[in-house]
Amino acid sequence: MEKWDVVIVGGGPGGSYAAKTAAEKGLKAVFFERGDRPGEKNSSGAGLGTRWWRDFPEIMSKLPELPSYRKADMIVIKVVDEENRVRLVHGTTGSDRDGSRWSNSLDKGMAGAAIYRLDLDPLIADMAIQAGAELRTSTLISDVIIDNGIVTGVKTEKGESIAAEVVIAADGGMSTMARKAGMRNRWGGGCTLVPQLDFGCDGDKLDAVAGNAEWCWFGPFNGAYQMHFAESFHLGAGKWLRPDWDTKPTEVLERVMEIPAFRKFCKVVDAQMREYQAHFLPWLKKPVKSYTGGMMLVGDAGGFPCPLDGEGIWHACMSGRIAAETAAWAISRGDVSERALAEYERRWKASPLGLEHQYGAEFVELWDHSIFDPELMKGLIQLLLEFSEIHPFSILFDWSDDHVGCLNQHIEHLFDMMPEFSDFASKYMSPLGNTISPRVVKRALLQAKPKVPLFKFLPDDLYLKLLARMNSRIRSWLETV
Amino acid sequence: MEEFKIDIKKVVFHKEGDTGDFINYDVEKCDGCGMCVKVCSAGLWSLKDGKARLAPRYGELCLECAACWEICVPEAIDFSYPASGSGVTIKYG
Ligand SMILES: Cc1cc2nc3c(=O)[nH]c(=O)nc-3n(C[C@H](O)[C@H](O)[C@H](O)COP(=O)(O)OP(=O)(O)OC[C@H]3O[C@@H](n4cnc5c(N)ncnc54)[C@H](O)[C@@H]3O)c2cc1C
Ligand code: SF4
Ligand code: SF4
Repeated sequence: MEKWDVVIVGGGPGGSYAAKTAAEKGLKAVFFERGDRPGEKNSSGAGLGTRWWRDFPEIMSKLPELPSYRKADMIVIKVVDEENRVRLVHGTTGSDRDGSRWSNSLDKGMAGAAIYRLDLDPLIADMAIQAGAELRTSTLISDVIIDNGIVTGVKTEKGESIAAEVVIAADGGMSTMARKAGMRNRWGGGCTLVPQLDFGCDGDKLDAVAGNAEWCWFGPFNGAYQMHFAESFHLGAGKWLRPDWDTKPTEVLERVMEIPAFRKFCKVVDAQMREYQAHFLPWLKKPVKSYTGGMMLVGDAGGFPCPLDGEGIWHACMSGRIAAETAAWAISRGDVSERALAEYERRWKASPLGLEHQYGAEFVELWDHSIFDPELMKGLIQLLLEFSEIHPFSILFDWSDDHVGCLNQHIEHLFDMMPEFSDFASKYMSPLGNTISPRVVKRALLQAKPKVPLFKFLPDDLYLKLLARMNSRIRSWLETV
Repeated sequence: MEEFKIDIKKVVFHKEGDTGDFINYDVEKCDGCGMCVKVCSAGLWSLKDGKARLAPRYGELCLECAACWEICVPEAIDFSYPASGSGVTIKYG
């Protein structure tokens, strides 16, 4: 029987990056892809964020050479009301103070890149091949081989057996490997389905209308993203596969395409609908158990995508790298048992990947109860609009003659809306307070001090102690500083 | 407006080869909840007399999304992938 140090199932970002790392560590590595070439079966947003330059500079330096590449400097959020009118537009972008964040030691600001998987997947696979790994395309792996409770290899669809010291399952959200090894079956509510459309368009016109920005559409419907490439764009929207699923996946996008501003955009950039796909995207509060004897799960197979925004390519590459490093470590010690491979989970938890999932539950719950819930979005949008309307200038320039009356009406109206909003805020938004670091809390408390007459004259230490006495959350926060 | 309706037959691309059988449906386990009908972009599932039914030539249109498998609580639907070298191919991105 053919035998390898590491057999990797899947030639997506997770599998290819694991293969690259394994080969660089001197392991004999092979990776299998069911498509005729890497990327053939995959389509994502796909946006890559700033941390890519920190963790995978070798990939980022090559992206601008690829045909679909477009820079992404900002995200523009468009909020639409019930009558499909765009009521609020908000852009996130770099600030003058970006220098205080790590990313900007690389002079990137808030930055990213948009790239097709048809370009990205072959790029990473080629890097793995260059490093010495072997790629076999058009090969579906259909089963695992288990000996005494330990995964010792895989079987191809044609019945060929291939032995391995360690198997790395990077076979995406449906993960045949995880299922066959008895690690899990259906996600049971933790997985989204993302219908997505690809449109071809005029690149120059897209430069003029959207530039290097991604767009997001929010409204009393399922929120959607619009990712721009060199001469094309994607419109996509995720939704959890749960018993409350109520529309056809295609209708989720058709609803967004009803917005006149979207239709006008299409007209201006000469857009042509070209391709549709629907794909799994696991979106969990935390990843599933990621190892068993002889096998580790990486990327979507392990449920790694970001609990805040569903980004998952970085997570696939990171977990692929850590799994391959763990494989090298375990093989060198001659122990690939489940106990030994628990090291994988220890390592990813200690890495930026672990940090990502520290507050997964808070993030998932916020989304789950807002942008995926049209009724709640209706209330939220109204509230946002009210807030934006009591912007001081809008009252000054409001042409009604009684400015003070108008301000009071606004405030009263806000109070009317409060019960509904405060329920939501206390249940889903205030848990996000857990994610604020103690250092920031301390700084905020100290900054507020001079503004409170009673506290103004206290020494900082005494002031913080006093606050800690008064509030248990502040106490636990300060204790960890 | 026509141009904003999604016609799956025009915007999903498949290769020539035979996919083989890759969705197994166990009519005994089906409780007729109709969820598979709702989540399938290609309209390959229908409901008749309280039981789901899969289009016989599903291989020609299926997106390989596995949504029907994930949503089926009684696990009446088993999904694997089509034969190597067949099925969906992403043409643009
Ligand atoms: C529509 C959409 C938009 C997204 N947008 C973004 C985004 O903007 N940014 C971002 O970072 N993430 C995004 N994601 C998430 C991201 O696509 C995934 O998290 C990422 O692709 C996971 O990588 P992976 O290598 O784990 O799995 P995959 O990319 O799914 O790769 C798995 C590979 O294994 C192959 N395979 C599967 N089973 C077998 C088998 N049995 N035998 C052989 N080969 C097999 C598949 O063909 C595939 O090539 C998006 C996801 C979707 C669905
Ligand atoms: S989802 Fe499952 S149980 Fe429900 S109708 Fe479809 S096959 Fe039957
Ligand atoms: S895999 Fe997706 S497209 Fe294929 S039958 Fe199931 S739900 Fe429909």
